[in-house]
Amino acid sequence: MISGLTSAAPVAIVIFLVTIGLVIARPRRLTEARAALIGAAVMVLAGLVAPVDAATNVAGHWNVLLFFVGLTGAAAVAERSGLFEALAGTSARLSGGQPRRLLVAVVIAGAVVAALLSNDAAALALTPVVYVLVTRFGLEPLPYVLACTFVADAASLALPVSNPVNVIVTADLGISAISLAPVLLPAALAAVVALLGCLLVIYRRDLPSASPILPATDSWVSWSGIPRPLLASFGVAVMIFAVASALDLPLGLAMTVAWLLLLVVERLGGRLVGPLSGIGWSLLVFVAAMGVLVDGLSSAGVTAWLASLVLGPVRDTPAAVMAVSAAAGAVGANLFNNLPAAFVLADAVHGAGLGAASAHAAAIGTIIGADLGPNLTPVGSVATLLWFVLLRQRGLEVSTWSYIRIGLIVTPTTILAALAVGLLLGVPR
Amino acid sequence: MSDVRRVLVALAGAEDPALVPELAGVLGPGFPTLEIRLLHVVDSGPRALLPIGPLPGRGPWPKPPDAAIQQRMADAEDEGSTALLATWRDRFSAGLPGATISTEVRRGQPEHEIIAGTKEYRAQAVVLCPRPRTGATESGPRSVGHVARFVVDHAPVPVVLMRHPA
Repeated sequence: MISGLTSAAPVAIVIFLVTIGLVIARPRRLTEARAALIGAAVMVLAGLVAPVDAATNVAGHWNVLLFFVGLTGAAAVAERSGLFEALAGTSARLSGGQPRRLLVAVVIAGAVVAALLSNDAAALALTPVVYVLVTRFGLEPLPYVLACTFVADAASLALPVSNPVNVIVTADLGISAISLAPVLLPAALAAVVALLGCLLVIYRRDLPSASPILPATDSWVSWSGIPRPLLASFGVAVMIFAVASALDLPLGLAMTVAWLLLLVVERLGGRLVGPLSGIGWSLLVFVAAMGVLVDGLSSAGVTAWLASLVLGPVRDTPAAVMAVSAAAGAVGANLFNNLPAAFVLADAVHGAGLGAASAHAAAIGTIIGADLGPNLTPVGSVATLLWFVLLRQRGLEVSTWSYIRIGLIVTPTTILAALAVGLLLGVPR
Repeated sequence: MSDVRRVLVALAGAEDPALVPELAGVLGPGFPTLEIRLLHVVDSGPRALLPIGPLPGRGPWPKPPDAAIQQRMADAEDEGSTALLATWRDRFSAGLPGATISTEVRRGQPEHEIIAGTKEYRAQAVVLCPRPRTGATESGPRSVGHVARFVVDHAPVPVVLMRHPA
C-alpha cells in the first residue's frame, strides 16, 4: 500500500473515476447532476462517507450553494432583460463592422460579462448573441465564437463571482474570496490581453479588412430597450456584492439578495416569469454531490496522498507551490472537468497543512489552472474527443484540428501570462 | 456541346469585388448563354461548436439547447446570406451583362456542400477563391485553403481558382 493511502482508497478512486466518466460520457442522456448524485450515493453506501457526514458536508457548503442560486438567477434576469443583445449592439456600433475592431469589442464584452456574471453567462448566453451579431455582418463566425468561449474563461479569474471554481477553492481553503482579487484581477487582465494578442495573430490573415455587409446602425438592439429601473438595479446588485466582499460577509447571502432585488424589479416592470426560472439546479446538485465524492476520497487518504505527491517537494516555496498548483489544476481540468479538479485540489491543499503564504499561493495557482485549463481545447480535452465522436454520430463533421489548434496555442499562453502576474503580485518577497 | 455554359460560383462573402471583372475575363465571350449560380454555404461547424448544448469539459451546463436561440441564429444566417448574395448578384449582373444569375444558400460543411451544389446544378465548371478571407495574391505552399483543396480533389467538373487581383 502506498504511504498515506488507506485500504479503502482503491474503492474510493474507482467510484470517483467512474462517476467522472459518467459525467463526461452521459450515457443514455444521464445528466451530470444525476451521475454525480449516484456517485455520491455509492460513496455513502460503500461506507466511505457516513450519511451524517455527507449531510454535514452539503450543509457546510451552504454559502457556495446559495451563491450559485443567486448567480445563475441573476444571469437569467440579465439574459431575459436583453442586456447581452444591447452589449452586442454597442459592440457593433463602436466597431463600425470593422472585423478586427469587432473582435476586440467581442473580447471586451465577453470579459465584462464573465467578470460580473460568471464564465457560464459569457459562454452560454453571450456566445449565441455574438454569433447573431457577426453573421449579420456576413462575417465567418468562428473566430468570434471562439473568442467568446475563450474569454469566458480567461476573464473568469477576475472576481469571486466570475467562476464557480473561485468560490469553491476559496471556501474550501477558508480564504476570504475577495482577498485574492488584488492578484487575480490583474492576472485576469493579463490573460485577456494575452488571449486577444493570440487571436489577432492567429487570425491575422483570416479577418477581412471590411465586413461584406453593413446592416443599418439603427437595426442593432440598443440599451433603451432595457427598463431603466432594471438597468439601475444591475448597478445596485454589483454594489451589494462589492460591499459584502469588502466587509467579508457571506457572498452566497449577498448574491441571493442581489438576485432577489433584480427579480422584484423585473416583476414590477411587468415581466412575469417563474421566479426560479433560469436557476442552475443541475450545477447546485452537481456541486453538492461533488463535495461528498471528494469527502470520500479525502477519508480514504487519496487527497492527502495527492498533496504529498504534488505539493510535498515544494511546500515551503510559495512561488513553486503556485506554479505546481496551476499545472495540477490545468491537468485536472483537462483530464476530466474543472469543477471536480478544483474540489480535489482544494481538499488536497487544505489537508496538506501548508503555511499561510503557501496556502495563499496554492489557492491562486489552483484558480488559474482550473479556470484557464479547460481551454486547451474549446471545451476541455479528453472530454472533447468524446464530444467530437458524438457530433460525428449525429452526422456533423467538424474539422477537429482547426478548432483544437487554437486552444493549444491560447491556453498555455494565457496560463503563463496569468501565472506571471500571480507570481509577481501573489508571492511575498 | 450545349450552347449554354453553367457555372457555379461559390462565395464565402468577403471576396474582393474585383473577382467579377476578372472572372468575366476568364470566361470570355463566345458563349451565347451564360448561366451563373451564386452559392453561399452557411458553415454548420461554428454553430455546432456553440456552448449552448451539453458540453462535458467545463462545469455542468445549466440549461439545454434553447429553441428560441437556435431560431434567432438561423434567422441571422438567413439575413446575412440573403444580403451577401443580393450584393454579389448586383455585382455579377453589372459585370456580366447578359448572363442569367441565380442564387442558392446551403447549410453544412462548405466543401461538401459546394460539391453537392455543383452536381445538383449540373454545373460545367465551379469557381471559387482559394482563400477568400486572406486576400492572398501569391501562389505557393498553403495558398489554397482546405475548402478549395477539397473541391479540387472532389469536383466532377473543371475547377477555376480565382486569386485576388494584385
